[in-house]
Amino acid sequence: MRNFFRSLLAKYMLLIVIAIFLVQIATITIALFVYGFAENVENRYLKKGIDTETIEESWHEEASHLEQVSEEGIQQHFAEWKEDFPEATMFWVDGAGILREQIGDNHDIPTEWTAREAASFIKSRYDGDPFTVIALMDEADGFIVFEIPRDALQLPMQSVYDHYGEILIIGLLLIVLLFIIVSFLFFHRIRKRLLHLQEAMEIRDVDGLPLAIPVKKKDEIGQLEQTFNQMVAELRKSKQREQEEERLRKELIANLSHDLRTPLTKLRAQSYSISKMDGNEELNKASQQLDVSINDMDRLIENLMSYTLLTASKYQLKREKIDMVRYVREHLATWYSVFEREGFEINIDMQSLNSSYWMVDPVWISRIMDNLLQNILRHANEGKYVEVKTKATETYDAFLFIDKGSGIDKQSEYSGAGIGLSIVDMMVKGLNLDWEIRSSNKGTTVKIINYHKK
Amino acid sequence: MIHILYIEDDKEIGHWVTTDLTERGYKITWLPSGENMESYLASVDLAILDVMLPGLDGFSLGKRLKKSAPDTPIIMLSARTAVEDRLEGLRFADDYVTKPFHPDELAARIEVLLRRFQWKDEVLEIKHLQIYPKDMRIINKNKEEEILLTGKQYHLFQYFIRHLNQILTKEQLYEGVWGESYIEGDKTLMVHIRYLREKIEENPSAPTVIETIRGIGYRVKQ
Repeated sequence: MRNFFRSLLAKYMLLIVIAIFLVQIATITIALFVYGFAENVENRYLKKGIDTETIEESWHEEASHLEQVSEEGIQQHFAEWKEDFPEATMFWVDGAGILREQIGDNHDIPTEWTAREAASFIKSRYDGDPFTVIALMDEADGFIVFEIPRDALQLPMQSVYDHYGEILIIGLLLIVLLFIIVSFLFFHRIRKRLLHLQEAMEIRDVDGLPLAIPVKKKDEIGQLEQTFNQMVAELRKSKQREQEEERLRKELIANLSHDLRTPLTKLRAQSYSISKMDGNEELNKASQQLDVSINDMDRLIENLMSYTLLTASKYQLKREKIDMVRYVREHLATWYSVFEREGFEINIDMQSLNSSYWMVDPVWISRIMDNLLQNILRHANEGKYVEVKTKATETYDAFLFIDKGSGIDKQSEYSGAGIGLSIVDMMVKGLNLDWEIRSSNKGTTVKIINYHKK
Repeated sequence: MIHILYIEDDKEIGHWVTTDLTERGYKITWLPSGENMESYLASVDLAILDVMLPGLDGFSLGKRLKKSAPDTPIIMLSARTAVEDRLEGLRFADDYVTKPFHPDELAARIEVLLRRFQWKDEVLEIKHLQIYPKDMRIINKNKEEEILLTGKQYHLFQYFIRHLNQILTKEQLYEGVWGESYIEGDKTLMVHIRYLREKIEENPSAPTVIETIRGIGYRVKQ
C-alpha cells in the first residue's frame, strides 16, 4: 500500500480527482459566492429600506409640499437630502428654464433649458444611470431633479451577480487551464526523467558494459532504474564468468598442449640417443623416421591449439602498422637456412608495394608464413623449389608463395596440410586480407592479397 | 669453460639435456627447481629455464635472474607455445625455445646468445680468415697478414660477426651500423660492402665470406 502511494499512477489519480473536485467545488463556490455571500453584504440604503421607489415617492412628495420656492428654500431642501444621500446630485430649473440651484458635481447640466433640452435630458436618463427623479412644481417654479448613481442603491456584488454566467465560464476555463498546466508539468517531469534514464542507459563503461544509475525515487521509473541496475550487475557478472571461462579454456588448451609436448620431448630424447649409437643403419633410419613423426606431431598439436583458439575467436590479435616487405623479408631470413639445408632452390624477389604499410598483427603474419612455408617444406619437398615474391597491381598488393611440389590434392593423404591451411584461412580473414590458392601437379601458388581500399 | 645453469623438473628431459650439453663441452648445473638458484648465479654464463616448475615458475625465476644478473643470457625452454606465453617469456628472456626441441637447435641458440653476450672471448675461423673479436683483429691465413679496416667497414664487419650465421637484411644492417632508418634505394650500404669485400675476400667478384642472399640480404657463415 505504501508503494502504491509512491507510484506515478497514484499521483496521477490524485491529480484527476483533485481536478474533478476542483471543477465541482469551483462551481459551487462561485454559485455560493454570487448568490449567498453577495446577499449578505450590506448596503446602507437598502438596510434602511430605501430603494428607488421610496426615493421617487418622497422626492415627489416633498417637492409638492415645498413651502417656499425660493433659492434659500430649495437650497435648504437640497442640503437636507444631501445629508441623507452624499453621493447624490440635485438641481433646480425654474419656470423660465434657467438653472437656478445646483448641488454636487454635475457639470454637463445646461444652464438654460428649452423644451428640446428637457426632452433630451429625460430621454437620456430614462431607465439609465444615474437614477434620476424629476419632480415638477408649479408652473412658475419649474422642476427639481434628484440624481444618484445606481451603484449606491445596489448591492456591491450586483454587477457580479449580473455576470454570473460569464464568471462561471471564465472560472471553469481557468481551472481547466490550471489542470492542463499541472498535467503538462507532471508529464513533462516524467518525460524528462525517462529521457535522462535513456541517456544514462546508453553510457558505457570502459569494458563496454552499461553503468549503474543512481536511484532517487521509488516510483515506477525508480523501479525501472533499479531493474536496469540489477541487469547491469547480472551482465557484469556474466561477463566476468565468460572471461573466467575463456581464461580457463585458454589455460586448459595451453596445459593440454604442454602435457602432450612433454612426452614428445622424451620421445625426442630417446630417438636422439638411438641416433647416437654408432653403426646401425636401421636404427639410424628408425630414429630419423621417429624425428619426422615427432616434428609432425608437434606441428599438429600447435595447429590444433591455434585452430581451437581461432574458432573460438580467442587468438590474441594486436594490429599495428608494419612495413610488410621488410617484415616478410626478415621472417624469410629465419627460414632461409632451413630450406638451404634441405637443398631447395630459393628464389626471393620482393619489390616495393603500392601500399607497403599494412594494418596487421605481425605475430599472425609470421604464423601464416610459417604454415605456408612449413607446408612447402613438408609436402612439396620433392619439387625442391620455393619462391616468394611480391605483386603490386592497381587493385591489390600481394605476396606469392610458390612451390614446385606435386600439388595440394595429393597432399590430402596427409591431413596436416588441411588444418595448416584452415589456420591460414582464418588468420587471413581475421586480418581483413584475402588469399587464393592454385594447385596443380606441377606445383602450388598461394597468394596473400591486400586489396586497396576504395 | 662455459657454465650453464639449467632448471628443469622433469628428470628424464633434465638428464638428457645435461648429458648432451656436457658432451658439447659445457659445464652444466642442473637444478630441479629454482630454490637454490641464487648460490650459482655468480659463476653462471647462461641460464636455461623451464616454465612449469614446482614452486616459483620459470617466468618469475627468469625475471628475478635478469634483475640480479642482467648480463646473463636466458633461454626459456618450455612446452608452452601459446603466443601469450612466448611474449611473456620474451619480455625478459633472450630466447624462447619450445619443446620438443632438437638438441642441435638448442646448442645453436646457446651459441648465438653466448656470442651476443661474450663474443669477444673466442677466435673465429671463417674461410681463409682468422678473427679475434676481442680486439677485432682479422688475419688472412693464406697470406699470413693482418687486414686493416676503416671505421665503417670495421663496424659493418663487427655487426656481421655479432650476428654470425644469421641472414641480415639491408635495413637491419644499415640501422645496426649507421643507427638511422634505411631509406629505400640508398646505395651507401652497397658501397661499403663492396669496399669491405675488396679487403677481406680472396676474390671480391665471387665473395665467400660475406654471402649475398638474393632477395633477402647478406650473411657471414662460420
